[in-house]
Amino acid sequence: MRDRLAKLWRSIAWTWSPESERESSEAIVRNLWLHWFPAKITRAAMSWNYSMWLGTASASLFLILTVTGVMLMFFYVPSTERAYGSIKDLEFAVSFGRILRNQHRWAAEGMVAVVFLHMARVFFTGAYRGPRAANWIVGVVLLLLTLLLSFTGYLLPWDQLAFWAVTVGTNIAREAPVVGGTISFLLLGGNQIDQQTLLRFYVLHVFFLPVLLWILFAYHMWRVRKDGGLAAVEPIRAERSMRPKEMPATKSYSMFGLTPGTSVQVMSSTDLEEQDLVTSSPNLTRRMMLVFLAVLNATLLAAILFNAPLEEAANAAVTPNPAKAPWYFVWLQELVASTTVRLGPLTISGGFLGGILLPGFLLIVLALWPWLDRSPKNAEGRWFAKTRRNQNGVFAAAIVAIVILIIVGVYLRGPYWKIYLPGTPRPEMPKVF
Amino acid sequence: MEKREQSYEATDYGWLVALSFVFLTLVAIALWREVFPSWRPIQKTFRTTLQKYAGVEKADAFQSGIKQIWIPKINVVDRCVTCHLGYDWGSVLPATLGEPLMPHPNLPYMGQHPFQQFGCTPCHGGEGWATTAEAAHGDKGWNDPMLSASVATRYGLTRGELMQMRCNYCHRHDVSTPGMEQINAAKQLFKKKKCIVCHTVEGRGGATAPEITYFGDKDPELVDFSHVTGVRTLFNWNYEHLIEPDKISPHTVMPTFNFTPDEARDLTLLLLSWRREIFPPEYIPAPLEATPVPAPSPTAAPSPSAK
Repeated sequence: MRDRLAKLWRSIAWTWSPESERESSEAIVRNLWLHWFPAKITRAAMSWNYSMWLGTASASLFLILTVTGVMLMFFYVPSTERAYGSIKDLEFAVSFGRILRNQHRWAAEGMVAVVFLHMARVFFTGAYRGPRAANWIVGVVLLLLTLLLSFTGYLLPWDQLAFWAVTVGTNIAREAPVVGGTISFLLLGGNQIDQQTLLRFYVLHVFFLPVLLWILFAYHMWRVRKDGGLAAVEPIRAERSMRPKEMPATKSYSMFGLTPGTSVQVMSSTDLEEQDLVTSSPNLTRRMMLVFLAVLNATLLAAILFNAPLEEAANAAVTPNPAKAPWYFVWLQELVASTTVRLGPLTISGGFLGGILLPGFLLIVLALWPWLDRSPKNAEGRWFAKTRRNQNGVFAAAIVAIVILIIVGVYLRGPYWKIYLPGTPRPEMPKVF
Repeated sequence: MEKREQSYEATDYGWLVALSFVFLTLVAIALWREVFPSWRPIQKTFRTTLQKYAGVEKADAFQSGIKQIWIPKINVVDRCVTCHLGYDWGSVLPATLGEPLMPHPNLPYMGQHPFQQFGCTPCHGGEGWATTAEAAHGDKGWNDPMLSASVATRYGLTRGELMQMRCNYCHRHDVSTPGMEQINAAKQLFKKKKCIVCHTVEGRGGATAPEITYFGDKDPELVDFSHVTGVRTLFNWNYEHLIEPDKISPHTVMPTFNFTPDEARDLTLLLLSWRREIFPPEYIPAPLEATPVPAPSPTAAPSPSAK
């Protein structure tokens, strides 16, 4: 009886711990979900301090968003008459509807932040060089997709916040030379935000963008592996290649170990040694689970503590004062508002300068940076390498500038597009009653 | 080597267990909130109240849960009755019960305005979708706040007087309607002072002054409050403007009519009631008086329905 119970428990709990390295490797290779991991992983890549596991956190957030998003799709109606009501239903009548929407909202905003931090980590560690440059570009596209996903989702509640934030966003897009009008027309499905816009944003949000993101994410992960894992291994590889490898005492080493120009003490260039590695199962899989759980807890806690914003129903006739873009685009809005130049009769539109030219330039420089970076090879895979001090400084300054603009836009910007320092009273907006 | 791998195991397992407990706690909190919403104790009280006044059978027949009056025709989802449970128990529950369980007073016009056809928010305002008192009464983040006594007293009105504004969404084309004394007086005043000589309403009238067919839809932010002395609301702007037009908007051509405060309030109610609300024909009342019916306007002719 006891044996049977133990057997039953094993079949339910499915506990299995690999007893040899071979079993460990097989656990990875033979599993559909795990085979894209290496059988063994370097300790350097496992370190909390190096990657901070921000990529895993981004992927975790995206998984949470996919699951909560699919559940929300059962309730949401993408029609101008019913969208707002269906969100109200989620908030007040659907079981767990409010927490579901809150979690989706906070995970989405978190994902924008975490993906950005992940990119900053890759930059500061100089981890985009050589073969990894292609993956850097994939990463930039993933960042853009994340922003677009968040932006398309912003419209769906069809409240005043959504309506006017998207108005601001698409008006900036309209400022692009030549194609601006066409892009805006295509995105809106007309000249103003209406049913067609909602439907287009919905289809983009629930199908095209997430599918594209999942495919690119899979490619991103595959490239990480094909490019030799995290760049954290490069300093170790360099170190290993500098010193002669201890030769295993086998009979045949002299036959295979001989290379032209060196003695029997061959220099090993690529091989990592046993002590650098741990088996992926269970070390990597367990830590991924840990990161996922931490991220899940964070989103759930945020969903319990804070309600996702929902204002009055969208009304094209009433503009909120002020109307702001979503926070991750508010720095662009600030640039747009402050770069409009008037010289007598001539007006240079801030929409073009601050909304298109400057962010476009930043994006192109960002994407091409692996080819512009001239720092030595040994700066790769280290935080704040001395030889990369200048470029790290410029990058950090750009981030700080963007963060300051976001803080100004979100917290200090008030009615009539004026700056209100903390503590100064803001004019009360008139109401009907 | 074996030792270092062990170290991963010990700390990672520790964290995994700790975070799992955090997760379970968070799920428990979410579950708790779902099972014990703020309307639950009110429904519990209602059951005992019902037992006291109507007997055990009626109380047992009451089922707990979100209640709503859903009228797709006018896009009304009124979950107010999740808490205001006594609304149609007027025959059993005493009127002295107090909110939120108090039965709806049996006013003379209630027979023509059944709950199942009109719901709550068309007359009272507020956010029908909501199931928490704070959200439902809609003082924040909601542009159509519930017309409460506190809002009414702000302008020297009773709640009933303020609510006449909403009655007039449908009764706009009545010459006079029983129970709508304020609006009736305002309509007479509007005729008597010949407002239509300067203002256009529904396609008729002069062009000297702004068109006011849908004055109630006016965005309060587009109004100049710099000369208003009281609260910055559209209601108050209108009120002060009617009393002293050239003080509120200098250089206006609108004459001062020497309206009494009561008259100015009544006219404000009438003006705010003129909104682009679209109701199905059966909601528009047939003209109460056979003579003299106002000439049907080309834009919004009231269709005399079968009712």
